[in-house]
Amino acid sequence: MTVAAGIGYALLALGPSLSLFVSVISKKPFLILTVLSSTLVWLISLIILSGIWRGFLPLKSTTWWPFAILIFSSVAFQEGLRLLFWKVYKRLEDILDAFADRVSKPRLYLTDKMQIALAGGLGHGVAHAVFFCLSLLTPAFGPATYFVDSCSQMPFFLVSALIALAFVTVHTFSMVIAFNGYAEGNKVDQVFVPSVHLAAGMMTLINFASGGCIIGIPLLFLMAVLTLMYCGRMVRRRLTENQRQGDS
Amino acid sequence: MFLVVLLVSVLDSGSSASLSSIATIAYSETSSDSSWDKFLGALLNSLAFVAVVTVVTFVLVLLFYFRCTKFLKIYMGFSSFVVLGFMGGEIALFLIERFSVPIDCITFSVLLFNFAVVGVLAVFMSKMAIFVTQGYLVLIGMLVAYWFTLLPEWTTWVLLVALALYDLAAVLLPVGPLRLLVELAISRDEDIPALVYEARPVTHHDSGSGQNTIQTRVWRERRNVRQDLEDNSNSNGNVVSDSNSTVDTVQSGHNDTRIARVEEGQISERDGELSAPLLDHRVNGQDGESFLLESIGLGSSGAIKLGLGDFIFYSVLVGRAAMYDFMTVYACYLAIVAGLGVTLMLLALYQKALPALPVSIALGVLFYFLTRFLLEVFIVECSLNLVMF
Repeated sequence: MTVAAGIGYALLALGPSLSLFVSVISKKPFLILTVLSSTLVWLISLIILSGIWRGFLPLKSTTWWPFAILIFSSVAFQEGLRLLFWKVYKRLEDILDAFADRVSKPRLYLTDKMQIALAGGLGHGVAHAVFFCLSLLTPAFGPATYFVDSCSQMPFFLVSALIALAFVTVHTFSMVIAFNGYAEGNKVDQVFVPSVHLAAGMMTLINFASGGCIIGIPLLFLMAVLTLMYCGRMVRRRLTENQRQGDS
Repeated sequence: MFLVVLLVSVLDSGSSASLSSIATIAYSETSSDSSWDKFLGALLNSLAFVAVVTVVTFVLVLLFYFRCTKFLKIYMGFSSFVVLGFMGGEIALFLIERFSVPIDCITFSVLLFNFAVVGVLAVFMSKMAIFVTQGYLVLIGMLVAYWFTLLPEWTTWVLLVALALYDLAAVLLPVGPLRLLVELAISRDEDIPALVYEARPVTHHDSGSGQNTIQTRVWRERRNVRQDLEDNSNSNGNVVSDSNSTVDTVQSGHNDTRIARVEEGQISERDGELSAPLLDHRVNGQDGESFLLESIGLGSSGAIKLGLGDFIFYSVLVGRAAMYDFMTVYACYLAIVAGLGVTLMLLALYQKALPALPVSIALGVLFYFLTRFLLEVFIVECSLNLVMF
């Protein structure tokens, strides 16, 4: 595909994350570090997963249930890693708070913590977009484009860019929800995130049926919007609670 | 690194013109050899290269010991001129050929000459706009890295690993040349002339710069030294091979150039107000936790300084990865950045001279091979069926 189209697809997948990055994250170096480290963690998880599954690939592309197992195991693994990420973050937070107390500076605010969670989620999302979408996009500059059989209305790259966009949103905000859930011990939040991830993953299986992506992708975006709204509601609730606490 | 990738992908002619240099002195790889032969050959190549590097580094230590800095600096200026002139010219020729740019000889030579001269002035003297200097440093690094990627594949990888190991040895062992150099410099309280890339800070402390300079200098020098010596060695290494090189005049150019690059202008004066250490040693003091707080932004953010040799080898790694596929490029990019972060943290922890190469290169090579053999199949399989998670 042409360079213009290629840049278009890349921006489609990564545009919102880029603007998030520039507006929120680039101001604080620590958040940049968080993004980079969470990207790395996601990459490592991908590599481990591919190591495990290497023996079984290439799978026959006509049957869909091996892929279901693949997705299920991958999502489970990554959610486990998210929990680990949370534990590391907790320890880091303790160190930071202790140090802040020592130099009598203010402790981490709620917004700071949420920003760190956001940065972590963004790292995950960007890693997804880069490895699933961009890495296939960038070598493909040239005169022609590529269509997949099961989704023949749009070029493959456009489809993957759209899916990547949805997943970036899901990843970014589910990290915020997850961290909040773990911090408050809120069971609903804690369960919400893995289930959304799993549901989103499973929905991509719909793409197997021919013409399936017409149904699959909108559903995926529905999940992304759901995550966004849930996160927004939760953040608003916590901020007002905090405000009220601070005022009283 | 980004520029090297771009250059590699644009000029990916896949030409098998073998670059005869010190690095291939022991063995010229041909694609018909078996894997084991290739591996042995690459190993021999790298061993020869590292041996030459070691010898040259010791020569450099001797020269520094006898205070021949003036000579070194002049040589450096001359060499960077040659690098920018000849190597830059070669690459520009490649690009012109590729993109069929209409340009005539005289214009080209005039432009090239001006470009090279400005480059030398920029890196040599510190009074220019920081962007110009940075740009030229980046360019020099890029040119050298690109030439390295023209080596045969196995040789490149084994060479990277060998150099990382050498770096580790040279800095940490008590008899290592780089360590000797650092100690010499500290004992004389001089600045080692060094080629260092500085990133502009977002904010920097003017107030603290005064007391910072001393610590800055020591800290910075350590970092610089390693790079320079390596580059130095590389360039010198190529001198020997000239007898059987196909690209003769340019080769000798390369050699000198690299030597020059190593000993480059005095940075310290400029550093006074332009730079603060990456880790604000003033606040840092004893605990490593303060580093974290620095990074959060409760502390200050200073100028980030990194030796050019590091950049070159990272670029070589990434350029090589680009020759295979873009997924490896992204993975290696992340790995190198992570390695850099780990090195910086170790630096904060140990507070002494540390080699920057080994961690990043180890991670980079590891990730390259893992990605190439494991990840790619997985991802392509999933993506083509539009199955993602």
